[in-house]
Order: sequence, then structure tokens, then C-alpha cells
Amino acid sequence: MNAPSMPSPLVPLTPARRRRLRQIMREYHARAFGAELARINFLPEKRRKQAVAEMIDHARSKGVVLSRPALGVTP
Amino acid sequence: MERAQGRGIPCAITSGMACVHFGVAATTKDCDVLCQAEKSDEFRALIAETELRGLLPHYRGHISPPLDARWMRGGWTSHFTWKTRPEETCLDIFSVAPRGSSAWEQQLQGIYARFNVVAEMKRTNREKDWPFATSLGGQMLLEGDLSGWLHLYDLEVMRQALRTAELPAQLHATRPVLSLAPFTDTLRAKRALMAERMFWSELDEIRVRIYQKHLRPYVTAVRRASAGHRDLGVAAAHEIRIECAARHLPQSPMRDYGIDRLIAEARENVGVTMGHDVLAWLPAAEGNFHGL
Repeated sequence: MNAPSMPSPLVPLTPARRRRLRQIMREYHARAFGAELARINFLPEKRRKQAVAEMIDHARSKGVVLSRPALGVTP
Repeated sequence: MERAQGRGIPCAITSGMACVHFGVAATTKDCDVLCQAEKSDEFRALIAETELRGLLPHYRGHISPPLDARWMRGGWTSHFTWKTRPEETCLDIFSVAPRGSSAWEQQLQGIYARFNVVAEMKRTNREKDWPFATSLGGQMLLEGDLSGWLHLYDLEVMRQALRTAELPAQLHATRPVLSLAPFTDTLRAKRALMAERMFWSELDEIRVRIYQKHLRPYVTAVRRASAGHRDLGVAAAHEIRIECAARHLPQSPMRDYGIDRLIAEARENVGVTMGHDVLAWLPAAEGNFHGL
């Protein structure tokens, strides 16, 4: 049986390690999602959500359908 | 969500919108929500009275199972829509978090499900979901939550993260791939990670098939009973769906099928495709059906 992944006690990283890990993840976001999304993902929350909303509006204005089909079960 | 929580309904936003909140942009306008099965009636009543741009909601299409505790606790998803323009606003509700290893109700962050709940849900048969899991795992590590290691699926990230975040040995039991740390045997680690992803993907594919098998007669019955009307009010549509679901939708299709059987089939599929030696790196997964 798997151990449940309940919130575990936090082990705060040192500021230097945190900076390094943030850089690792930023590089990963660029590889996985592309440079523009990586930039958006690392914006402060308010600007990030605004950028995502603008991106969605732009996609819709170009005819992109973003809704998924209803399936009756969630993949 | 705030209104629902204010009424004592345990619920949370998850999936794409939660990812956006957590710093992983997703281009979805559909909202996925977890709602405690026992509160289905209250949540449905709240949805039914909630206007969006002056519009009331409907069940989405004929395919949506009823938002009713009997089916929701068996893992079905219920869909609602507000016919807003230029696009509809869609709400997908489920009570069992797919692949969840613990009670999501105890892991809320305001109106959102926590990182680990969302990350487990992203272990799907859709390629596009996996980078979200890895990104959420990275966020957990950044917050000092070492169980983030359970959600990293990119070898380069795993290798580099080892230099910044401790990898607790007790996580190896939950995720055997982690015992390959420091991941210097690149090909072996890559193969193990591929096998692991394929395993979750196979599990998801079989799981979806189990549910979909029952939907065809249900959809036909709902269509017939609705006399073709797609825009019935929630209350009227709900009555029809309950009646059709009672005839065509088993309440616990996964349990009926057998969790052990499901896991065994997914493992076998991985073994046949990638070689049986990789099975040693697969997680047990029995604990990832919490709530069913």
C-alpha cells in the first residue's frame, strides 16, 4: 500500500538553495512549456493570472476552442 | 467556491485552474471542482441558483451523470454549463480525486486543492499533463515539502534537484524509481521513468474505459427521456438523469471491476511493452484509489 502523500512537515530550503531550485524549475518550464509560458509562470500571481486570461482571450479571438468534451468521467 | 464553502460544503478547485493559481499556466476555461459526495444535493442546489451573466446553468449535454452522492462516490463526473458567449462556461464536478492517495477534503488551500492532490490527478494518459505534475512537484520542493519528489517525472530536474533538496529514503517505498538516485545511470533511469509514466497512463486508460462502457445506453436513455431538450432546468434534468442512471449506470464501476485487477492489467501492459524487468520500478498504486 502506498504511503499517503499527506502534507509533510516542511523543510525550508536555504535562500541559496531556493534560488538554485527556482532556476532549475524555470529552465524546466522553458523546456516543457516554451519560453513565453515560462516567463508568465514566474510572474507574481496577479500579473500571471492576467497574462493567462489575455492569452486565452487571444486564442479564442483566433478561433481556438479551449473547452474539453464532457466525458462523464474525468481523465 | 467561497459561497459553497461558506455553506459548509467541502469543495475545492483543482486541475487546470488550480495549476494557474500555483504558477503553471494552463489554457483552460473549464473549471474542475472536487465536492464531497455527501454534499451533492446541497452543491447541486447552489449551482442551480447561481446565475452567470444573467444565465442559469444546465446539465451539460446528455452524457453527464447526475450530481448525486450514489454515483459521485463511485467516481463519476458530473458536468454543468452556463451558455455564456462567446463560449460556454463549463463546470466539471467529481467527488473522488483520480489517483488520489489521501482525503482531498483534508488538503485544501483556501478554495484550491493542494499541490499534491492536483499533481496526482495529472498522472493521466494525456502527454500534456505530465509537465504539470513535474512543475507542481517542483513548487512543493520550493515550499520545503519534500514529498514533491513523488511528482517529479523529468530526469534532468530530478538530477539537479538532488543538489538542492534532500531526498528522504522513506519515499523510495512509495516511489521505487527514487531509489535510482543520484540518477547517474541515465539510460536505466530514463527507462524506469518511462515505465512509470506508462503505468499511470495505462491505469488511466483502463479506468476511463470502465466508465465509458456504461455511458452509451445511459446517453441514449437521457436523450429519449428529455425528448431532445438539452436546456432543461437543473431540477427537471436531474430527475430524468437519476431515473436513467438507476437503470444504466452502476454506482461503483471501479469496485465492480476490481482495483487489483485494474492494477494487474496495467502492470502487465507495461511488462509486455517494455519488458518485465521494469516492473520492479513501478509504484504499488493500491493506495491511489482513495475514496472509492
